[in-house]
Amino acid sequence: MSLLQSTQLRAEPTAAAARRAFIRAWPELQNPAAWLVALILVIMPVIANGFFLIEIFGTTLILGIIALSLMFLAGYGGMVSLMQLTIAGFAGYMVAVFGMSGNANISLGWPWWLATPMALALATLFGTLGGALAVRTEGIYTIMITLAIGAAFYYFTNQNWAIFNGHTGINTVATPNFWGVDWRADIAFYYVTLGVAATCYFAVQYVSRAPFGLALQGVRDNPRRMAALGFNTNAHRIAAYAFAAFIAALGGVLQVWNYRQISPGSVSVGACIDVLIIAVVGGITRPVGPFIGAFIFVLLRTFAIDLLVKFGLDGNRFRLLIGLGFLAIVFWSSDGVIGLWDQWRRSGKAATTRSGGGRHG
Amino acid sequence: MDSVAQRLSAVGAGAALELRGVTRLFGALAALTDVTITVRPGERRAVLGSNGAGKTTLFNCITGDFPPSSGTIRFFGEDITQFPPYERIRRGLRRTYQISALFPGLTVQDNVYLACRGVSRGRFSLLRPGQNDALMHATETLVQAVHLTAVKDQRVAELAHGQQRQLEIALALAGAPRFILFDEPAAGLSPTERRELIEILTSLPAHIGYIIIEHDMDVALRVVESVTMMHNGRIFKEGPPREIESDPEVQELYLGAGHE
Amino acid sequence: MTKFIERHPAWALIGIIAIAVLLWLVFAIWPPGLEAAIGRKRVFLNAVFNGITLGGLYFLVASGFTLIFGLMRNVNLAHGSLYLFGGYIGYAVSTWTGSWILSFIAAFIGVALLGVVLQLAVFRRMEGQDLRQTMVTIGLSIVFADLMLWVFGGDFYQVQTPAWLIGPIQLPLLTAVKSSGEPVYLQYPLVRLVIFVASVVIGIAMWLALNRTRIGMIVRAGVDDRDILAATGVRIQLVFVLVFALGAGLAGIAGVVGGTFQSLSPGEDTRFLLASLVVVIVGGMGSIPGAALGAVIIGLAEQLGSVYIPTYAIVVTFLIMVLVLAVRPQGLLARR
Repeated sequence: MSLLQSTQLRAEPTAAAARRAFIRAWPELQNPAAWLVALILVIMPVIANGFFLIEIFGTTLILGIIALSLMFLAGYGGMVSLMQLTIAGFAGYMVAVFGMSGNANISLGWPWWLATPMALALATLFGTLGGALAVRTEGIYTIMITLAIGAAFYYFTNQNWAIFNGHTGINTVATPNFWGVDWRADIAFYYVTLGVAATCYFAVQYVSRAPFGLALQGVRDNPRRMAALGFNTNAHRIAAYAFAAFIAALGGVLQVWNYRQISPGSVSVGACIDVLIIAVVGGITRPVGPFIGAFIFVLLRTFAIDLLVKFGLDGNRFRLLIGLGFLAIVFWSSDGVIGLWDQWRRSGKAATTRSGGGRHG
Repeated sequence: MDSVAQRLSAVGAGAALELRGVTRLFGALAALTDVTITVRPGERRAVLGSNGAGKTTLFNCITGDFPPSSGTIRFFGEDITQFPPYERIRRGLRRTYQISALFPGLTVQDNVYLACRGVSRGRFSLLRPGQNDALMHATETLVQAVHLTAVKDQRVAELAHGQQRQLEIALALAGAPRFILFDEPAAGLSPTERRELIEILTSLPAHIGYIIIEHDMDVALRVVESVTMMHNGRIFKEGPPREIESDPEVQELYLGAGHE
Repeated sequence: MTKFIERHPAWALIGIIAIAVLLWLVFAIWPPGLEAAIGRKRVFLNAVFNGITLGGLYFLVASGFTLIFGLMRNVNLAHGSLYLFGGYIGYAVSTWTGSWILSFIAAFIGVALLGVVLQLAVFRRMEGQDLRQTMVTIGLSIVFADLMLWVFGGDFYQVQTPAWLIGPIQLPLLTAVKSSGEPVYLQYPLVRLVIFVASVVIGIAMWLALNRTRIGMIVRAGVDDRDILAATGVRIQLVFVLVFALGAGLAGIAGVVGGTFQSLSPGEDTRFLLASLVVVIVGGMGSIPGAALGAVIIGLAEQLGSVYIPTYAIVVTFLIMVLVLAVRPQGLLARR
């Protein structure tokens, strides 16, 4: 046979192939549990009161979005960036600086529909530049450089009063209010957050199978070979940082709307590391991981104090609990909670096949 | 297969690949010393030599994986010495690796698709390929050409060694290659797989030239019309296969050692 | 050195000019115009001395960090915790025994032992898995931080400077000349100078140990090429444990120094982790001279920055890091 001539025979009927490709691309559409989760999330305002809706689920979704941006970089690009929260915080600061807030001497008073895109654009630029710096080196250095960027930003916001208002930060940040709806009211804000989170989730899922995402995974696995296939690997990495920065920025805008204030505490080194913990605990190979991790993290953060006190322990030892839990996950699972779940299911499956095989034998 | 002369006359004159005084140092060690080679378009050449003769380093210099310490490399007349690897690939240069360099976590189809994407536009595309995507068709054609259609949805990590070698070749054929560097494509293949490999190589379109590094003389001499012998990082002999094979110096150096 | 000048004449020239300007600023009597423009010479000299002595402290922290990374590829993000832990040990011992010297010894031994335990119980199990090790160090830093907060609370502690080191010393450096023609000399805290000299001595000792002893040669060979280690047949685990103990112990000593210079409180661990990161990125990963150079550069930048551009001081430090990454991503004195 000869090469590079067009094929006559199709390997299989196109319709079936398309269907299989579709299932592979959107696995959650085939999963009843995923539909159930989606349904619960949509009708959540009926089930949960204001506290649960925002403090638990809203916060979970926001942290999940920020951690998703890390998952995208780490899972598909092999770049563990500790500056994703910094990018989100930068976006939050920009919303406060360009929009309206209680600190009239700093805020420029732009309407939200102008301030928000500006904040997203600047934060994406910030993340891209940080990424361009981080890709100058490889592997484990990425963590160090991005952590240094995050820490520098934290100390800078503390020192700088002209833009970031020092350690007091910017308070009473205005939130959008149009079409007669206060979008920061609990239910409306929950749906905004859910909408953004779902969009980000599906966008990451979609892009992971698009040329850009596939190439990113190629760069992760074997950068030298990717260059030998015609890819500019560094440009690809920087583009990945830009994509992730945009997602993180979305999370940051939601976060500043949620708390209505932002201060250096929101971008502290501890908070940067929390995002890594969330992503790692949830699992960094699939986009659903960060949301699971965020849910666990928020539950622990909210209820650990009561729980510890109930067991007669010091309620202030929440960080200790988080640290130990994180260590346990890193020790025992290759991929966070999802990894544990997969291991458990596989061992269950293996047991059934073994016993089945035994009966046939 | 058409005769060599006929094939070469169809492609025209000039050099496909021209190396002048290429030297590559690793610290104080010279892996290549003053290598000068000219390969015509469509020409097929074998590079022979013992381990450490500098064959793979030669490839790495040509593709830019390790740029040369001195000397110039021209590809179809263009000076590519300072180009990053991806720019060389986009100009029609291709290579395969001695140890399969694939993407084990991705499927066969995705591997080939990436190769097709790498040498076309839309490398950063955020849109998934649709049903009528031209590159998807190109991918399918290539997968079929290297006899991997049956396993196209399998992850590469699950493939047998021979299949991985075939995929390695498919990656080098993506797009519109003008010149290919094959680094020991037959390594570890069974006799049947070797026959398939020879078939793939001989059925390449006439305008595609290549350099092949191959220890197996039976394979090498059946798919090339010229041979370059390397020794200690230098060119040792050049000529048609038969001449090289019967050259006493070569026999002493290389073939003799092989028959021990 | 001559090789460097040959290869980068422009950079060498800039460097020489910078050093010459600095020397002139330190030794000359400033003309009135300069004092009017950037303030008193005394302020400048104090900032320079603070910067250099702070650099000494940074060197103590960062040299352990860079050594551990260089040999074991372990990015020890719990290094700041080791620093703070050493500081607390030093504080406890010095208040208990009243001996400043003893607090150093206790801090070194205590933190080095912790390092040995970590290497044996944790990192040995995940050799070669950089990312997982780093994750573990992150988890450890959280756990340590909370444990120390539990025991020591959120208060500030300061290690007592011994009586024989209290007070300033007059240095033979002119800060100004009075109108009567009487020269005014710089007064500088003795304890900072002593500590700086001590860190220089430690640095030189480390350099000698790495370059002149057998085990030092092994460590250096391992930093350059890890495969060599396995091939030499040395008991590689023993070398790893020793290096980890040394690196951790140095962080412990640095903690006592920091507790004397400045103060100890939660959050200092992060500050010194960041300092180590930046120093090592600037100086070059795995290089002791690199850590020394980076530490002095960052110490000077921080102190001069906080005097002359207080709200942007951190930016100066950060810009230095950016510049180094842009021009020489492997760090100023890295081998690669």
